[in-house]
Amino acid sequence: MVKKTLMKKISKNIIYLFYLVLFGILIIVSYNSSKRKPDSVSELYTDFSWLINWPKWLDTPFMHWINTGWRGFIADYGLIFDAIGYGLLRGYTELKNVIVQAPWPIVILGVIGITYVISGRKLGTTIFVGFCTFFIGFLNPRFWDKAIETTTMVVIGILICVVIGIPIGIAMSRSERVRNIILPILDTMQVIPAFCYLIPGIILFGLGAIPAIISIFIYACPPLIRLTDLGIRLVDKEIIEAAESFGASKKQKLWGVQIPLALPNIMQGINQCTMMALAMVVIASMIGTRGLGDEVLLGLQQLNVGAALEAGLAIVLLAIVLDRMTQAYGEKIQERTQPQKKKN
Amino acid sequence: MKFIKKSFLVLSLLFAFSLSSFSANACTVKVGDFDWDSANIHTAIGSYIMEHGYGCDVEVTKGSTNPILAALIDNQLDIIFEHWTDNNVALIDPELASGNLVDLGINTPASEQAFFVDRATSEAYGITSVDDLKKPGVWELFKDPEDPSKGRITSCISGWTCYTINLVKIMEYGLGDLYTNFDPGSGGALDAAIAGAFAKNQPIVTYYWTPTSLMGKPEIDMVRLTEPAYDKACWDAMMVVVNKIKADGPDAYEPSCANEYKDMALTKLATGKFAADNADIIAFADAYTITTSVVNNMLAYYVDESGGDMEATAMHYLENHSEWEAWVPADVAAKVKSTL
Repeated sequence: MVKKTLMKKISKNIIYLFYLVLFGILIIVSYNSSKRKPDSVSELYTDFSWLINWPKWLDTPFMHWINTGWRGFIADYGLIFDAIGYGLLRGYTELKNVIVQAPWPIVILGVIGITYVISGRKLGTTIFVGFCTFFIGFLNPRFWDKAIETTTMVVIGILICVVIGIPIGIAMSRSERVRNIILPILDTMQVIPAFCYLIPGIILFGLGAIPAIISIFIYACPPLIRLTDLGIRLVDKEIIEAAESFGASKKQKLWGVQIPLALPNIMQGINQCTMMALAMVVIASMIGTRGLGDEVLLGLQQLNVGAALEAGLAIVLLAIVLDRMTQAYGEKIQERTQPQKKKN
Repeated sequence: MKFIKKSFLVLSLLFAFSLSSFSANACTVKVGDFDWDSANIHTAIGSYIMEHGYGCDVEVTKGSTNPILAALIDNQLDIIFEHWTDNNVALIDPELASGNLVDLGINTPASEQAFFVDRATSEAYGITSVDDLKKPGVWELFKDPEDPSKGRITSCISGWTCYTINLVKIMEYGLGDLYTNFDPGSGGALDAAIAGAFAKNQPIVTYYWTPTSLMGKPEIDMVRLTEPAYDKACWDAMMVVVNKIKADGPDAYEPSCANEYKDMALTKLATGKFAADNADIIAFADAYTITTSVVNNMLAYYVDESGGDMEATAMHYLENHSEWEAWVPADVAAKVKSTL
């Protein structure tokens, strides 16, 4: 017991020492690499301008390090990424073309059919989804093909988010250590400006849908991961104890108890993921992806307020359609595990 | 003790405030800046001189061609330091005629706009003019991943006039069935696409222009494709179709004519109202002119040495060239030099 508190004390102090050492290293590195050093140390006492504006000699050459490393990286691996990007873009374009070339009534009937089945034969949701889908074409005939392009891109992005995000969320909920490592990464993913990772994405994969799908993943995945983690952690401890007392293995506990009970939170996560993915659509159009974001950008650059709002409304309708479909599916799964008593 | 603490707090606040300067300037200038770097450098140099030499409050607003020109016509902005005259004649000429806007003379004597191909591909396949793009098999070098039946010409973004001009040119030169006029989405994406092609040694055919920092970089080596020589009647006929397409969409295309972009001089614009009230600043802006080679050098400095610091690049120009001193009265020049 005494040893444990002693170990904790030492590890805390080591972290403080580490910060101090890092601070010293930063000052030394920035001073040595700066081009505008003060002529002598006594200048610091006489000329106080270095107190008002951050001095130029306290500047780590982060930019130069990243640029040099980046150039080396492209020189070695650039062609591989180009081949991957070309292949992925071909696949995406073929899939998109199949749906674009199908007659639009068939597409709408397909959407209605899918909604009917996955919502468990709910008529209200199906009619609403069908109406919204139909209305996209009514807004502007040009929007139909563009909406399909945007939908393909967003759906692929959401699928990647779900496939990668939910397992990470589950892993986070099991181990405090994993959680502490991943949380700052999630913060970075959500906050870092999109163009910071889009420009390298363009240089590696070329303009178009692939960097856009990467940006959707980076921006839309964190809420899903956080809500999955939260949902599983919020499952009642007593229910878990009951499952363990019945002899459930870890796998059975996860799939039989934790995930079904966390499902409301996970579905909320998928909803947030969808909304944020559609929010990235305009940024995607700024790197040459065709779709509804393209129309918004065009309206913005040509000062056509009506066109921009029209395209924005189409994106909102798309969000409603995708959201209703996923929520209906989630409710169907929840009803299976937690059937609501029907009021007679 | 409490009194000492409080008074210390108040004194330190007063000290902090006194360190910042209160400005009650006689003149405010609202400058319009665009989203490409040659406009940025001229705005930076002009703003620096106006702020430190004339003591004005300078507000810079950045945007794309259409919004900024609309704001200037609406008099929400006062002055722009770079204007690609020939691309916006239909929009600006009526304003100049009515006196709403005033032309302030030439900024850069010669600029280029053209289609470029990377040197390696140009030399390997003998592509030196737009007609060479029609040679069998050439379009396959530039295959468009989104439409593999055609090649891709990376063009302007849809907010720039040159997007529609390039669309008409591609149709006129008979390249419409072989190439797509690809909109890269933003100026940064266009630069990144070209830089990416060079980094991976991929062929690329693209629209580009000088003066720019990209063309000043040593690794970006592109060959300009020759087009039919400039002819005013032909250009005007083409611009009629361009304006129709801008209004009604790409289906309004009809065959007309096309030739190379003229090496036009870039000008400056100000509102008539601002010109009437600020004769001294207008005299300076009128005299402002820098040659293309110096602009290219400044832009190369901006990218390679200053690390993206536009103000440092402006100061570098003012320190190393003396022609700007002739644009302003001696006392203004002295004030600017004292801040360098």
